Amino acid sequence: MSESAFLLLENKIADFPLLQSAQHSCLHYLDNAATTQKPASVISAMADCYQSCYAPIHRGLYPLAAAATALYENSRVKLAGFIGAEKSEQIVFTRSTTEAINMVAWGWARNRLQAGDYIWVTRMEHHSNFLPWQRICKLCNAKLRIIELHEDGTLNLDAATELFSKRTRLIALCHVSNVLGGVNPVGALCEQAAALNIPVLVDAAQSVAHIPIDVGVLDCDFLVFSAHKMYGPTGIGALYAKSARLEEMEPLLLGGGMVDEVSDETRSWSAIPARFEAGSPNLADAVGFAAAVDYLGGIGMRRIEAHVDSLTRRAGAALARIDGLRLIAPMTPTSASIISFDMPGIHPHDIAQVLGECGVAVRAGHHCCQPLMHSLGLSATTRASFGVYNRQDDIDALLAAIDRVRRLFA
Amino acid sequence: MAKESFYSAVLLDHFRHSRNKGELDGADIVRRGHNPRCGDEIEVGLYLQGEKLAQVKFRGRGCSVCMASASMMTEAVTGCSKQEAYHLWEEMRDLFGDGNENDVKHPTNNLQALSVVREYPARQRCVLISWEALRDALRGL
Repeated sequence: MSESAFLLLENKIADFPLLQSAQHSCLHYLDNAATTQKPASVISAMADCYQSCYAPIHRGLYPLAAAATALYENSRVKLAGFIGAEKSEQIVFTRSTTEAINMVAWGWARNRLQAGDYIWVTRMEHHSNFLPWQRICKLCNAKLRIIELHEDGTLNLDAATELFSKRTRLIALCHVSNVLGGVNPVGALCEQAAALNIPVLVDAAQSVAHIPIDVGVLDCDFLVFSAHKMYGPTGIGALYAKSARLEEMEPLLLGGGMVDEVSDETRSWSAIPARFEAGSPNLADAVGFAAAVDYLGGIGMRRIEAHVDSLTRRAGAALARIDGLRLIAPMTPTSASIISFDMPGIHPHDIAQVLGECGVAVRAGHHCCQPLMHSLGLSATTRASFGVYNRQDDIDALLAAIDRVRRLFA
Repeated sequence: MAKESFYSAVLLDHFRHSRNKGELDGADIVRRGHNPRCGDEIEVGLYLQGEKLAQVKFRGRGCSVCMASASMMTEAVTGCSKQEAYHLWEEMRDLFGDGNENDVKHPTNNLQALSVVREYPARQRCVLISWEALRDALRGL
């Protein structure tokens, strides 16, 4: 099959200065689940901000400060539109997905959790959607419950008999696992949970760049994601929450910009979302975040989803045919952008090192998912993950490099 | 592309055909080296004859660098006195740890094959795991 017959996107490499540079002309970047490269539009939006519209946010009374504040708030509006939030006030800028989850754990869940209550996560969670819950459960004598997995890496919901129990205070799960790659049925889970008034937090870090998300349809209580995995800058992420949940949440960081009145003994918090954004807002990264949303929107999330899905399937099918290579999770009808594999007898760090020497960038390790690794009986896997700029030649390079691994360590 | 090939023939040989690898029955002391980040785990056993390390063996699992380094370590310190072995550990620590470049003494023996790993900070821990187990064993004697 010719490349154009299955790839829905025209070549996007020209949009990405690093991938276009002579220095990296031989690079096959398949580490998109760790972080994505940045398009020129994101880089220039951030440079433009610093060069022509930079001033304090929500603090200055002069025109430049008003313009910078408008730019910052406009980024919030863009983000809200991108995920279908009803109001931009439902978007809180954070440093990362990790920070957003910790904010919900400490600011919202901790005060509502009583001894004997349950918080449910899944076996496939990243440490960032595991450790915050583990800690507050310990603190409150609540129980961290875990949805285990079927052999094929999908959630074994039948075995989680108490998932929708009266004791469950929250279900926190990833939309897409950063190791297994399958898409979890978050919509159906949210629907069932909503019928019993159980809030759901969806970690969309691995899905937001590849799958269209509409929180109005999904109806989750919290959705968290990071800019840097969706072609935006590092150092900024977002927390979306239903307005009622944000009203219930205590701010984690106290300081400037999040308080209305302060006396020696009392204080009154600012309105939402400023209440949750203590300190000088991160203007340039918010601008870059919005530019990334524009970049994705300009291509179209449906087209991106089809492109990345097509690449992932083709790579998965080719890898599955290699002797001595095992896919950690079989390709399912809902695979998305990520393939993990192992080659028994060859350490993932050796695989990644040889691939790196061949110009193929992948990730090897436990992927910050040690509870999952333990249950799989592995210490590490090798992971290839795809993005908008990947093409058939990246898959070809991956396969050729794996062939070299086999020859080297045979 | 890579500067110098990371996987030299010597390194691969020690990985494929590790020396002194096996059970540690009867060892005078056994200590463990571990890197939870990649799951590598090595146990080193010392067999003494007077002040000398008559035999040094290891067992465990890890990447090629980890296994090759352990294999080379056992060859390098077998027959050494405890002090000589500890001195070799210190040289390896300086080479792959926080050593000052000016103080670093580059190995002239078969440990040379590991020198390339200095250019890959992410893999330096792999070299040191077995040597740290050796250090702990020597300290425990």
